[in-house]
Amino acid sequence: MKSIRKNRSIESRHSRNGFLFILPWLIGVCLFFIRPLIQTIAFSFTKVSVDLGGFHMKFAGFDNYKYALFESPEYLNNLLDSLTEFSYQIPIILILSFIVAVVLNSEFRGRSFFRSLYFIPVIIINSVVMQFLGNSSSVESLSGAAQSAYLNGLIDFESIFLQMGIPAETTNLIFGYVNQIFDLVWQCGVQIVLFISGLQSIPEQLYEVSKVEGASKWEEFWYITVPMLGTSLVLVVVYTVVEFCVSTNNKVIMQAYKVLLDQQIYDISSAMLWLYFAVVGGITAILFVIFHRTCLRRWQ
Amino acid sequence: MKKIEITPRTRYRLKRKTADVIVSVMRYAFLIAIGYVVLIQLIYMCSYAFRVPDEVNDASVVWVPKSFTLANFKVALEALDYFKAFFNTVTVQILSGLIEVFTCSVAAYGFARYSFKGKKILFAVVILMILVPPQMTAVSMSLDYAYFDLFGILNGIGKLIGRDIRPNLLNSGMVFWLPSLFGVGLRSGLFIFIYHQFFKGLPKELEEAAYIDGANAFTTFMRVVLPSSGVAFLTVTIFSVVWHWNDYYLSILYLNDNQPLSVSLSKLASSIYNMSGYGSDSLTYSMAACILYILPVIILYLLLQRKFIASIDRVGIVG
Repeated sequence: MKSIRKNRSIESRHSRNGFLFILPWLIGVCLFFIRPLIQTIAFSFTKVSVDLGGFHMKFAGFDNYKYALFESPEYLNNLLDSLTEFSYQIPIILILSFIVAVVLNSEFRGRSFFRSLYFIPVIIINSVVMQFLGNSSSVESLSGAAQSAYLNGLIDFESIFLQMGIPAETTNLIFGYVNQIFDLVWQCGVQIVLFISGLQSIPEQLYEVSKVEGASKWEEFWYITVPMLGTSLVLVVVYTVVEFCVSTNNKVIMQAYKVLLDQQIYDISSAMLWLYFAVVGGITAILFVIFHRTCLRRWQ
Repeated sequence: MKKIEITPRTRYRLKRKTADVIVSVMRYAFLIAIGYVVLIQLIYMCSYAFRVPDEVNDASVVWVPKSFTLANFKVALEALDYFKAFFNTVTVQILSGLIEVFTCSVAAYGFARYSFKGKKILFAVVILMILVPPQMTAVSMSLDYAYFDLFGILNGIGKLIGRDIRPNLLNSGMVFWLPSLFGVGLRSGLFIFIYHQFFKGLPKELEEAAYIDGANAFTTFMRVVLPSSGVAFLTVTIFSVVWHWNDYYLSILYLNDNQPLSVSLSKLASSIYNMSGYGSDSLTYSMAACILYILPVIILYLLLQRKFIASIDRVGIVG
């Protein structure tokens, strides 16, 4: 009995203190997170009217969702566009940032220079600046100039392709994708950071053991690096999906936001947002289940 | 002439060496290619920002403008209302970002070092905060801030004294400061997560020594834990400042006057249009405005980058 008491750690002795540490946060979460979240769900199922004393809600069933899906112009198109972008951009971002992180994690001359260079997009991505540089629909003309500037800078590849007899449609298609890669590289900043810190946390001993056992670099990569990155991979996927939803280039969010800002329609706007996150969240959840079933199980 | 004898050993060495050279050439080629993509945007920005508007469509000018000019910056400064907007950003967004750096660490320390009832559920809420984008809560918060209330207490008092005392917080800095003060501001879920992973890796011995010396929990946190977690602080501070600087969604929803820089940049085209005598959407003006916008953060980053990049290795965000 005595020895147990002796071995009790700080943690259990001060469990009340722990609660005090998170108490401010807990109040904040109730006030600024959970309550508004529930309220937006409520908004999406009701008719909201605002007047001087506050706002009033009247239950309306799925009316707002029906309106968003079938009556509002553009919403369904935006949703489908956004989902197609989601389906190819996220894998590309993941693979690209993973490759860059692996390269940046190895020892070579000028590593710190390249690291600091690659984190510059972290600063600029997600800001309004990207509306002027990226492929936002509102500034189409600017982005056209930007994209031709990339490629015309050194060699005019497009005209070379045309002269080689490749039809214009194919050329446009190829260059459309090339230009997108430029945009996608810019979205990799934080993911590279997360992957590098994940790579750093893999214990060195594992590699030493595998070297002694005579494993090749390739086997080392697949049987140590990739499985050990499990948790950071999950974090990166989550971050990328969230980032995709928050981005100023996301048409669905922009539309819902415009409804809210320009017309002050709270109910339809929250229905649009919830519908979008239900779809995106659902897809992500399914992917995670598949990932758990197949990859993680095999690694273990 | 002496003949070089090729033993199996030198052959092996030669093979290793060529392989090394090939790998490093490929590595640099890859890194430079990606670096080009990163830098080209910035070069493009500068190239247009220093150019006379007439030269934009001049095919003979590709990267280096024929005549350098600072006139674009003058227009952009005026259109952005730069110094006022900069002041707003610093006092509202950046201040709230810095508050968040501290409050999130307090909450994370509670999660990392203590065990109490319901900890698992509450930590799940932290994860949920990472997952749910801020726009979701912003829709209803924009209504709540107009009639701000603490769990219905103010409304109750108001009914008793027959006067509505619920303050309208919209358009004031409070909409940013208040959530940050409670540790639930912009992306605080992620910050709590980063701190949590870091604190869990800190050795407990120092804190135990402080307890034996009679310090209470909070003093220990302030005097012992905080000074030894500068690395985590730096990472979170940079992310927090950058994300608050770039915040656009919340500012445009909550703040009508006192616009921060991000909002005034997004309205650049219309404000240039309203200023007489300038073309509405000249590329040169917007690029100059973009440079003015990112300049403070870039300077901050360049000052801190060496420490920041070293810290990423050590924070172990992923644990």
